[in-house]
Amino acid sequence: MSTPLSLADLDLPRRNGELAFDAPWQSTVFALAAAVVEHAFGGDREPFRQLLIAAIAAQPGRPYWESWTAALEALVQTLPNSPRPDET
Amino acid sequence: MSDKGHHPAPVSPVEQRVAALEALLSERGLVPEGFIEEITRRYESEIGPMNGAKVVARAWVDHGYKQRLLADGTAAIAELGFGGPEGDHMVVVENTAAVHNVIVCTLCSCYPWPVLGLPPAWYKDPPYRARMVREARVLLAEMGCSLPDEVEIRVWDSSAEVRYLVLPQRPPASVGMTEAELAGLVTRDSMIGVATL
Repeated sequence: MSTPLSLADLDLPRRNGELAFDAPWQSTVFALAAAVVEHAFGGDREPFRQLLIAAIAAQPGRPYWESWTAALEALVQTLPNSPRPDET
Repeated sequence: MSDKGHHPAPVSPVEQRVAALEALLSERGLVPEGFIEEITRRYESEIGPMNGAKVVARAWVDHGYKQRLLADGTAAIAELGFGGPEGDHMVVVENTAAVHNVIVCTLCSCYPWPVLGLPPAWYKDPPYRARMVREARVLLAEMGCSLPDEVEIRVWDSSAEVRYLVLPQRPPASVGMTEAELAGLVTRDSMIGVATL
């Protein structure tokens, strides 16, 4: 009983899923975090996760994506400064 | 700011901060062209609870798959082509007549993205995160999932290491359904463990 399940046979719209984002800035900041994790941290999500935990703990009542934004700002602070062209 | 319309939407402080981040990170070359659009599209249309529903339906019809799923969730989920960020260490917990499982992330919002998409708003809110640990039975009942007293409730706190997915019980009325039909029965909430089918 392991017939491959054909995607074409499935009609599964995004049921009981709220839309993931309520506003464009939310999807933007989500994707920005993904970009930094992927391109500056080699895919390691843990540093961002720790900052998100701290951001949520700091203001538990703050809207979620605002805490996410604060965490990303903190993560960006940890990035080494971009080398200037004349430094290399 | 634009003067278009009678009530132009003001740019909120957080929108300004996000725009500043976008400008800074783009300048540093960390945001490739089209990256934001691609990630958004993927999480709005491709990655979501429909993926988890296929995993659950397969486990219901294929005993061998179910055994593999419970033994090594990440590998079995990858068999169906799902994986990626927040899905590196998947543990699947099975609901039975005696045990009901539910997932939470007490510290932030860890959630199995590849099979459930991004978490719903309530999953990220402090009341859910705190109360599911403290009074799971009461909270589940408030969410419309009343369980008999004799059913043990196990609460799984997601962490950096592990993401959980609940394997709900197959509804008795689903006898004879195809795998695709079964997948259509599986709800996101049942895979978080805040609903039964």
